[in-house]
Amino acid sequence: MITAGIDIGSITAKAAISQDGKILGSRVMFTGYNAVQAGKNVIEELTKEIGIPMEKIEAVVATGYGRNSVAFATRAITEITCHGVGAHFLNPDIRFIIDIGGQDSKVIRIDEQGKVVDFAMNDKCAAGTGRFLEVMARALEVDLDGFGKICLQADTPSKISSICTVFAESEVISLISKGETRENIIAGIHESVASRVSALAKRVGVMEPVMMTGGVAKNIGAVRALEAKLETTIQVSEYAQVNGAIGAAILAGREI
Amino acid sequence: MEALDKIKRISKDPYSYALNLKQATGKPVIGNFCSYTPEELIYAAGGIPFRLFGTKDDISMADAHLQAYCCSLVRGGLEDALNGNLSFLDGTVFPHTCDSIQRLSDIWRLNADFAFHIDVVLPVKLDTESAKIYMVDVINGFKKNLEAALNITITRENLTKSIIVYNRIRKMLGEIYEIRSNSPDSISAADVYHIIKASMVMERDELLELLIKLLDELKNKATGSTLDTKNKKRIMLSGGICNHPDIYTALEESGAEVIWDDLCTGSRYFEGEINETGGPIEAIADRYLTRIVCPAKHMGMTVRGESLVHQAKKHDAAGVIFLLLKFCDPHAFDYPYLKQFLDDAGIPSILLEVEEQLPSDGQLKTRFETFVDMLD
Repeated sequence: MITAGIDIGSITAKAAISQDGKILGSRVMFTGYNAVQAGKNVIEELTKEIGIPMEKIEAVVATGYGRNSVAFATRAITEITCHGVGAHFLNPDIRFIIDIGGQDSKVIRIDEQGKVVDFAMNDKCAAGTGRFLEVMARALEVDLDGFGKICLQADTPSKISSICTVFAESEVISLISKGETRENIIAGIHESVASRVSALAKRVGVMEPVMMTGGVAKNIGAVRALEAKLETTIQVSEYAQVNGAIGAAILAGREI
Repeated sequence: MEALDKIKRISKDPYSYALNLKQATGKPVIGNFCSYTPEELIYAAGGIPFRLFGTKDDISMADAHLQAYCCSLVRGGLEDALNGNLSFLDGTVFPHTCDSIQRLSDIWRLNADFAFHIDVVLPVKLDTESAKIYMVDVINGFKKNLEAALNITITRENLTKSIIVYNRIRKMLGEIYEIRSNSPDSISAADVYHIIKASMVMERDELLELLIKLLDELKNKATGSTLDTKNKKRIMLSGGICNHPDIYTALEESGAEVIWDDLCTGSRYFEGEINETGGPIEAIADRYLTRIVCPAKHMGMTVRGESLVHQAKKHDAAGVIFLLLKFCDPHAFDYPYLKQFLDDAGIPSILLEVEEQLPSDGQLKTRFETFVDMLD
């Protein structure tokens, strides 16, 4: 049985295809302006890549904020439910997920079946999201892929006290003009994100083991800063960014 | 349903209703923000208690007087007072509740231009002997203030009639809520919302007639069919004010139905009967002392939590959504305490913070749909 999951996020669209409990492949691309087109493109490219025609896919679950733009989906399910199922699939011991995406962050507690028990989402604010890191990387002229690694060379991370992204950017600019090292500023930025997200996590109640998913999980600086704040180790799978799509593909299997 | 249509029109545009009513009858319209307003005295004085819900307009004038950490109810209420939208009000009553409402009272008195302004400094700790004596004093004081402001005398007969009218209204609102809970097909949650909202702004004799008709229609219509809980989850709302009919439809589209609430603009408004025999002031005071408390009042350590769990169980709610106004600190302070009670009882819950506008539809649906998944 072959099923697919499509996760239309605010910045990237992800697809995953699974067959009888195995991941056959996954793909990430930018969502852009047209979420409908992004959903079609990402699955088309993935099916071509792994050489499985669309007709072979028996069920599709769409997730993410654009889940209702995927017309060919069997069902739309929220990304919170999908991340729970995805993380459980990757490691059945996982009880807590931190999913930081482009436009919001979510903390999710799951039970031994991967079912959501409690969750919280950040509200109307870029603080603690991937977008916050993007804005800061631009202000510091650092490539987003290398942004997190630079933290590891910091000696005394700067203090970023503003929660607001716009004000935090002004703070960063004044730190630059004071001559603070880039490493310390970037480490401070990651600590600031970790503070926001760990507060959200503590609200729901962290249960170990913890997994981080979503695009920001690829950022080692954010992972390390969160581990320090939550005083725990955080697992990051190679599938972190496509975890929602994987969960969707697994759930599609239950639709048949 | 003619009565319901009329109620919905009023709920959707209470200001036009009040303006027309004022022109037609000349009755004093008296604004308030709180279900602890002793409305029975306003009715006995021939006035119309008019609940204020904030504004749907952009807030600009009010922010010259208030900090950004005030809730949208306080900011929106002041906005409408300053921009002339509340020109039909004769005066305003401010019962003692949260800090923001206390300060709003002062700012309102100084900057909004209404004929009179009354503070009702209620007790906070309600489960003491001294609170009983004090509550009677406060309500007697409110009676004197109202009499002076309107230049009338409130007689014992006026008060007795008011108590009877209020008991009837509250009893009927309770019956409508019960019909919704027992037979949700008979009336939608959004319609129940419109009924309770209109009940807080309408001329109460007119309301009473409409409620009698409405209840008749509903009882004839009530199918007695229970909710298909496989496809629709029974949900209870808990919090302060709800001025968002769209929440009910967004929840329905996500697979849930609101079947009961613990809201200031909901069951807390109609809960509790006034004793019709004995001293009327004492009887009114007694209801305000014994009705289910809001977080700005105290009645023992466990009463609120136990009451929430009791209501959720009684109405077979699969989950509770805490609907809090952003920056409402009394409710926010109580939230972890209440959530703990629900957790201990095995009742799932989520927190939704709202302002004068709801979060974007996408964010709202993501939360609601996930919550419904959780309840499966």
